[in-house]
Formats: sequence, structure tokens, C-alpha cells
Amino acid sequence: MAKTPTPADVVDRDLPTRRDLLQMAAAAMALPGAPRFFSAWFASARTVGQSGMGPMPAPPEPPLLDHYTPAFFDAEDFAALEAFTEILIPTDDTPGARDAHCAHFIDFVLQASVGVDEPTVTRWRAALRSLRAAGFHAADASGRATLVEAMSLPERDRTATHPAYAAYRLIKQQTTFAFYTSRAGIIENLDYRGARFNGSFPACEHPEHHRV
Amino acid sequence: MAQTKYDAIVVGSGACGGWAAMALADAGLKVLMLEAGARIDPAQDFRHTFLYQWDYRGRGKPGLLRRYAGSERNYRIMIDNVENPYTTAPDTVYSWGRSRCLGGRTLHWARATDRMADYEFKAASRDGYGMNWAVSYADMAPYYDRVERFIGVSGAAEGLPQFPDGVFLPPMALNCAETIFTAASTALGWRSTPRRLAQLTLPHNGRPPCHYCGNCVNGCDVGAMFNPIAVTLPPALQTGHLEIRTDSIVAAIRMNRENRAQGVTYIERDTKRSVDVDASYVILAASTLENTRLLLLSAKEGLANSSGTLGQYMMDQIGGGGVTGFLPILRGGPARLDDGKMSGLTIPNFQNIDDKTQRKDFIRGYVMNATGGQTEYPQFAANVPGYGSEWKKEIKSRYVAQARVWNAGGEMLARKENFVELDPEVKDHWGIPVIKIHFTHSDNDYKLLDDFQQRAEELFRRAGGEVMPSLPTGGPVGFPGAPGSPDTNTAPVRGGGARGAESSGGRGGRAGAAGRRRPLGGSIHEVGTARMSVDPKEGVLNSFCQTHDIPNLYVFGGNAFPSTGDKHPTLTMMALTARGCDHLLEQIKGRA
Repeated sequence: MAKTPTPADVVDRDLPTRRDLLQMAAAAMALPGAPRFFSAWFASARTVGQSGMGPMPAPPEPPLLDHYTPAFFDAEDFAALEAFTEILIPTDDTPGARDAHCAHFIDFVLQASVGVDEPTVTRWRAALRSLRAAGFHAADASGRATLVEAMSLPERDRTATHPAYAAYRLIKQQTTFAFYTSRAGIIENLDYRGARFNGSFPACEHPEHHRV
Repeated sequence: MAQTKYDAIVVGSGACGGWAAMALADAGLKVLMLEAGARIDPAQDFRHTFLYQWDYRGRGKPGLLRRYAGSERNYRIMIDNVENPYTTAPDTVYSWGRSRCLGGRTLHWARATDRMADYEFKAASRDGYGMNWAVSYADMAPYYDRVERFIGVSGAAEGLPQFPDGVFLPPMALNCAETIFTAASTALGWRSTPRRLAQLTLPHNGRPPCHYCGNCVNGCDVGAMFNPIAVTLPPALQTGHLEIRTDSIVAAIRMNRENRAQGVTYIERDTKRSVDVDASYVILAASTLENTRLLLLSAKEGLANSSGTLGQYMMDQIGGGGVTGFLPILRGGPARLDDGKMSGLTIPNFQNIDDKTQRKDFIRGYVMNATGGQTEYPQFAANVPGYGSEWKKEIKSRYVAQARVWNAGGEMLARKENFVELDPEVKDHWGIPVIKIHFTHSDNDYKLLDDFQQRAEELFRRAGGEVMPSLPTGGPVGFPGAPGSPDTNTAPVRGGGARGAESSGGRGGRAGAAGRRRPLGGSIHEVGTARMSVDPKEGVLNSFCQTHDIPNLYVFGGNAFPSTGDKHPTLTMMALTARGCDHLLEQIKGRA
């Protein structure tokens, strides 16, 4: 698994330092209603203080999927799905689908969909059947890579077709969602900066952006 | 059985109800506020979180969001659609966005706080269509001032007559994409300004400034954006003159023999017990269509309906259209906090504002918005062809370069054939008849939207933008539709005003393959159905939002609007409320 960046790994001028937080808090602390807000902000400031002058780190991901046992797919289908997701979003210098438990998340949603959202359940059953019919389950790593390449072709060539293209799109859509809503995707890969206490909003400071 | 008699009953606790309760309680009136929904605790309900902290990543457990609008994060501040149905006519496509909770829709609103201008109040005089408002900008300006000063509005003065300046805190800073769109707008000769928002850039009236977490639509945890539970209700409660009863669903206004409102009957949400309360004044502020529903429920032909116009001339600003894509100059750049203010750039309407700008092909106008950069979830990602490490790099490169232009609101023409009535067959969970909505768009509405779309694409091109194409879904054996299926798989949008933005530069209202125009739906800015008029024969309300027929019955919300204008309506609704409350208090003073 790729290494999770620490605050010190990130050069950051947009997120507030402890000094920013304290200055702002001092200016507004006398206001009624402020204490609850600033207790949260101070908690953030303490976190920043403990990690030097870097940004406030995003919280860890809850352990829901760490030890999750698939309940929707059987072992063979789950293994195929997990392999497929890792081809789509591989682990490289940043985490991939396996690190983000994408297949586990898909299974988690689908097991909760049984009896509630049957059209979705049916679509996924059909997708895995389609994948099996295309030979994905039985193929080795190289064969699987070749298959996914063929299945994805209609994305780039609108005249191309593949019987498992719909399955490819379904798995890609949900894997994309699972990955980029995970901590591995949104924080470690994309370095998303919101959903935190920030001292200021970073204005554009690029002269080249002031003309078109 | 009637119990305590109040000076005033305020039905609803949103932007208008909150203001009315504050103004009247502050004047010493004994006020009862009745809210149909539950009490909200910001400390519990409004924490900002990352999607990965939610089991279902914001979508909720399968099935949950069929019952509720919104997302896993904010459905509690929306409405239970099963308990609270409404119906539509066969030719109507309309999604009525609602909230039932203390604070109402302002708990998750887009915070756009723009003044309407005289060219909107007096549009009928200019182009001959419809009816002028019974108020002018000069009548409204002091009340705009008062509301803005109290709630706190960030913005920049521009000196544009069609976009009147207000009492502003410093504007929100522009991010890189917004700066580029500013340059593009200027190059096209269109004025632009940071969006004017009821969102604090400085400490104000005891409230802390925005901390740019971007969580606005899920409820602000610190009260940095305007909503009644943070801004108007606390001082109202401090007077000691306000009592709030939540989970109290008003079912009718009761009248006395002197043709005055006697009080209201409400139903306790959980027990279904019916309760009567009396007051000297009844104020409806339960949101536009709920107000009208109550008037329709309270008399055979509708209460205060001597004009026969109650329910008619329903409007909603025209949304839809827009362009999404990327600004190549930003691709591959560093991560930045781009969506922390949930805002953007505004390009005020610049057409049909005077004789020089009058178009021959359509009347009225629209406001454009633009923004870009990082968002919480890369909605575009699954539509980027390919996969693997190169695809991941491509997603990251584009993530910081996202851009979109959207329709902030176009003026929809008022038409009598757009109306609401009581559905004779369908009732809500408490046995109260629901409303049936009849709502379609006119040719002018479609032409206006087409013009917006062309201008949006022009702006996008001038900024150097690259439009995001869509991908084939997989044909007839595909999996369209539900969450988790191809090309509909999106995370909950957090954007302030992303409503209506569509990918691929889709033509909002243009004819489809079969030659029929796509219904435009609504955009959460429903107004009308009890319009104001100088002549009591032409409308339900006077310029103070007092019913022409019943002097102690006021209706605050969008009901009074004879036209939508092109500005977001909330500030004008609040200013009308402030003006109406002054009028009510003067009446009491006059009698004393």
C-alpha cells in the first residue's frame, strides 16, 4: 500500500497555521456565541500545533470496510470484481482501488440493496454474468488486462462495440465513486482541501489569470 | 378548545417567519411560532465531515433517499416526501424542493442575496407584459438595507442600476477559475462581481465569520451563513415574547364573524391531536406554496380570494442549461481550497434592462454564475475515457481545473394557466388535502434559456474552457437509472448554486429528437399564487403583503411576487416581510 502522506509531506500555504487560528480567535472571542465555534477551532489549532505548522490533517477513515466479509457476491465473483477494480484504479505511487476497499464498498452497498433496490441488484448480477461470459473470471492477469482493454474500447471509439461494455461502465462508475469518496482517493490522491476549519480563503494570486 | 390568545401567530420558521417573529417580538407582541417540522440542533446536526466518514458515502442506506430529498448528510433538514406528497397535472414536470424543520430551507440555501431593481419591479411598464409590482425600488431600499445590515451580506459595490448595491461586508475572494472567468467576462464586455452572499467574511452581530469548510448546504455549524436558528430566532427568544412550537402542522385558518382571522388549527405531528390557538394577527410564512395551500384549505373558494386570483400565476425561475468542463491553464496545478466558500462569480443580467438593450426575440433576463477548481468529489471522473495509472493522473490533473457556468436564475413569465389547487383525492399523512401543481413554460421562457445557453458557451470559450463530453452508456443492455448505475453515479453535490448545471453544454430547453421541448421543471424559487396588487380585484395581497380582504391576515414569502425577476428571491421576500411587519405594528399603534 502506498504511504499515507503526513502533514509535513504537504507544502501548504492555503490552510491556516496555528498562529492564524489563534489570531482570528483572539479577535472574535469576545463575541457572544463564539465559544462553541472556537472550541472546535481551538481543537484544530491544537492538532496543528502537534504536527508543526502544517495543515490540519483529515481524520482517518472509519474501520467499516477493513475487516468486511463480502455478503452479496460469492467468493469467485468478488475476487473477479476486486481484480477488475484494481485494473481500473491500480496502486502505484498513490493508493489504488484495493487500498480503498472499492470492491468491499460495492458489496456493502449491494447487500443493503437486496429487497430494497432490486433493479440495481439485478443490474449487478447481470454485469458479473456478463464479465464471466467474456472470460474474465477464468483469465490470468495478462488475459484480464487484454479483456478490459477490449471492453473499454467503445469509450474511445464510438463505432466500437463489446458485449461487456455495459458491465465495464457499471463497474467503472461505481469503482470511481468508491475510490474518490474514500480517504485514499480524496485525500491521499487528490489532496482535497475542504471540510476543515480554514483561517481564510485563498484568493488567486496569478497575474496570468487576470487576462484571457 | 382555544387557550391563550396571542398577539400574533407566525406559521413557519424560515427566512420570513424568523424575521417576522423577531420583528414582532422585539416590538413587545406576544408571538406564537408554529413550525410543522422538528427542532434542529446545529451542534449535533451540522458537523462538517468527509464523505468517507459516512457508511454510504453520502448517499444513505439504499431506499432512504427515495423518501427524502437531499443526501445522507442533510436529509434531516429536508422533507419526508412520503408523509408530505403533492401531485402534478399530466403535462407538468415540477419538483417542489421543500424543508420541514425549524429554520426551513435557509438551513441549506445557496445564500445568494441580491436586490431586485426597478427594471424588474416595473417590467410591465417597459415591455407591456404582466403586472408591475405594487412597490418600487425606493419603497424597498430601506428594508433591503435593514435586512442586509442585520443578517450580514458579503459583496462588492458595482454601481450597476440593474444590480443595486447594498450594505456589504467585504466580498469573498475569487479563486483562480473565477478570476479567469472575470477576465473572460470583461473581454466580452459583461460586468461581473463576486456572488453576493448572506455569508460572513467578518465577525458580525455576534456571529463568527465563515471558516471555508464548504459545508453550507448541509447546515452551517457556526452560524456564519444566514439562517433563522442562528440569526433571527435567538434574539427573538431573548425578548421573552416568543414561544415556538415545533411538530405543529397548521391545517386551517379560522375566521370570526367580523371577517377577521380568529386563529389557526394545527395538528400535533406525532399524536395527530387537533389544537386551536387564537391571535389578533395571523401571519403565514410557511413557504410560498404551503401558504397558498393554507388559504385554499381555509375556505371553500379559498380565503382572501375575492379577486379570484388565489393559486394563479405560479412561477419559478428558469434553471437548467449551463456548461461544465475544464480550464486548461489550471490543469496539473497544485491543490487549492477552491470550494470552501461554496460560491462563485455573478454576471448580472445585461439584456432587456432598458430601451438600448431590449431584445426583439424575448423579454426579461437572467443572471449567470461561474466557478471552478477543486470540488469534494470529481463528478467528471467516470466520464473520462480509460483507466489505469495514466487515467488516475489525468483525473488529478483535471481535478483542480474543473470549471462550470450555470444559470443562476432566469425570469419566467407569469401566466394564469400556471396554478395550484387542492387535489380532491390525495391527502397527506395527517389527512390534510395536498396541492396539485399545474406548471408549464412559455415560448419566451425557452427562448430566454436558449440565449443563456449561447452566452454561457461564449463565456466558457472566451475563458479558454474545454467542454466535458459525455460517454455512451452501453446501449440497450446497459444499466440506466438507479444509484450505482452507469452515467448517473454521482456523489451528493455540495456546490452553492450547482443546481441546473449540466454536463456537455446541454441545451436546456431545446427541442429533442421528437421535436418536443423538454420540460424545464423548477429551480426552488417558486413564487406567485397570491400576488400583490394595487387594485384588490387583481390580486390577493396589497403592497404590505396584507390580504386585501382580511386586515389581520398577512402572507410573507414569495406569494406576493407578480413576476420572478432575475434575482434570487430570498432577500426580497425578507425585505417585504420587514416592510409588512412595520405596517402591522403601525396599525396596532394607530389603534392604541
